[in-house]
Amino acid sequence: MTDRSFETGRYLYCVVRCPETEGSAFSTTGVDGEDVYLIRTETIGIVVHECETLYDTSDVDVVRKWLLEHQNVIDAAGDRFGTPIPFQFDTILRGDDERVRAWLDRERETFASQLEEMTECWEYRVEVRRDEATVEETLRDDERLVELNEQIAESSAGTSHLLERQYEQRLETLKHQQRADRTAALIEQLEPIARDLHDLGHERTTLEMEPDTDDEMTRETRLALLVHEEQQHDIDDLLDDVAADPGVKIRYTGPWPPYTFAPTIEANDTEP
Amino acid sequence: MTQIDIDGENARDGLMTLVITIVELLIEAMEREAIRRMESGDLTDEEVERVGAQFAALDAEITAIKEEEGIEESVGQLRNRLDGLVADAVRSVEEPPQQGTTHEPIDND
Repeated sequence: MTDRSFETGRYLYCVVRCPETEGSAFSTTGVDGEDVYLIRTETIGIVVHECETLYDTSDVDVVRKWLLEHQNVIDAAGDRFGTPIPFQFDTILRGDDERVRAWLDRERETFASQLEEMTECWEYRVEVRRDEATVEETLRDDERLVELNEQIAESSAGTSHLLERQYEQRLETLKHQQRADRTAALIEQLEPIARDLHDLGHERTTLEMEPDTDDEMTRETRLALLVHEEQQHDIDDLLDDVAADPGVKIRYTGPWPPYTFAPTIEANDTEP
Repeated sequence: MTQIDIDGENARDGLMTLVITIVELLIEAMEREAIRRMESGDLTDEEVERVGAQFAALDAEITAIKEEEGIEESVGQLRNRLDGLVADAVRSVEEPPQQGTTHEPIDND
């Protein structure tokens, strides 16, 4: 268990590229109203604020507010310096600016190549939702379902109850299979266009905090895409085609900083 | 966080919701087993009819209780939450959640 407070620390937002010709002045307001600034070494900078404790609370509203503030800083840094490498909320480096600078110096090559790779690339989130009734309509011709329907019609009450349950189970299996197939097909189409792609499945993420409340629509696919600015139109077109299917709704958000595609930094506590 | 209210006026509803949810899950598990046996031919037609009729009666009884108590919605919600909890538990075994950590990247010389 890590000690929750420390004398000096820096809360990290993101690493950015800052060419030498560019001024390094960057300031904004960060998590919990802290003053955010840029620590720079040669052509790489890191956006930070000074802190003494981890951000920890059980109040969901406060966490939500902090997360938004965290994202706002990264968005501002992205506007100013181009695609940033974002850090996860509450990533803190113990030590002062000098230690951060020394660390950045040591990791410069790694960050430089990651920044290079992600230049002009942004993350997009795609969620495909499909209307349950439309899906069921397309599955009604399934041989086994037709057969079960006939048996239900011919059976007496008790038997038909079990057969109805069997019908429901078969329908669920088919729907599940269809979702998996459609997701795989979409991924296959997107892969050549996207720089990188991650199937989020049911992972919880902070980019979409609203709960899944739509009863009639079922989530079929949830993806994070890393897209180069030049390819964005191709992605838009492809998704327009998918959305043209009857009963399909697509949630398409972005551009975001590449949260999903940023490398995780290793915790390396050397103090007890 | 999932909470079942056992205080004050909602205590009865909360408890009924919990009990009915558990009974529903139990019945479904038993139904699945019955269907499995029916499919594998372990049950005679008479047995299928009898077991099916019992499940149908249980089903009707549960539906009536839910209506009477006005807990259809809360049972549905609890079941969704339980689904979420189970899915989360499975995922957290696969991938432990990351909490805020401090990083000490510079070696102590």
